[in-house]
Amino acid sequence: MTPPPVKGTRRVTLLALLTAIALTIFMIEAQLPVLVPIQGVKLGLANIITVYAVFVLGPGDALLILCARVFLGAVFSGQMMTLLYSMGGGLLAWLAMVLLRRLLTRDQLWLCSPVAAIFHNLGQLLVAAGVMKTWAVMAYLPYLLLSGMITGLFTGLCAQFLIRRLDRLGR
Amino acid sequence: MNRTAKLILALLVLLAAGSAAFLFLRPAGEDHPVASITLDGRLVEEIDLTEVQEAWSFTLEGESGLTNTILVEPGRIRVDHADCPDQICVNQGFISDGAEPIVCLPNKLIIQITGGGEALDAAAG
Repeated sequence: MTPPPVKGTRRVTLLALLTAIALTIFMIEAQLPVLVPIQGVKLGLANIITVYAVFVLGPGDALLILCARVFLGAVFSGQMMTLLYSMGGGLLAWLAMVLLRRLLTRDQLWLCSPVAAIFHNLGQLLVAAGVMKTWAVMAYLPYLLLSGMITGLFTGLCAQFLIRRLDRLGR
Repeated sequence: MNRTAKLILALLVLLAAGSAAFLFLRPAGEDHPVASITLDGRLVEEIDLTEVQEAWSFTLEGESGLTNTILVEPGRIRVDHADCPDQICVNQGFISDGAEPIVCLPNKLIIQITGGGEALDAAAG
């Protein structure tokens, strides 16, 4: 079931490739106009790569890809403030996925993603509450829960299809 | 699907239903809206929106140097112009009830609407 661990140059190349793909998706998504005027509501397509990496490569490598993508994304988009929010959300989502990885099989990956998305939004709100020094931002929580579930389901399904296709390629 | 997956799915559905129910069922509107504007954790302005006769606007500058221009109209308030790149606070438009605050993350600005009763009493006392 689990593929043999990738090592050495192959691993570095694979991680770099996945980071580059995630960063590209992130940058393209940032060009799309904002559809919902609520802070924190976005598709989060780059997380397809994160979900995929957590399940296929393992938590450690997924964390490396996530951190590299979030940091480079903040540098490239020129908004260093977003680094704080993305990291807070990303790390909490990563933690949720690492726990869910033990409970769910690879065929249930689509279910893991909405949970991770919810924790991502929760992490962002906690960081926002800290930065703004007020709990007023929690008023957005119900919106973010709903949107996180929808976008999370979408990215989860994408990752699920991705894993299925790549498995069929047989590596 | 095994039991764990079903349990997680059930929790998700429950949470979604709960959020939707909360958004639909909460009481709408304040009969005496007072807007309080907070910049970086400090309360800088409190405006009784029922007493606004004519539209007026003012500009606030945060410590990062970014500015927000706030437009006040009878019964409602909005961010009219902002220096920030995402413009989410501007796109949110007018708010007139306590449903959700306007938040400008880059500038650490929050416009919140409260019922007013207690705040006014406190000010009067």
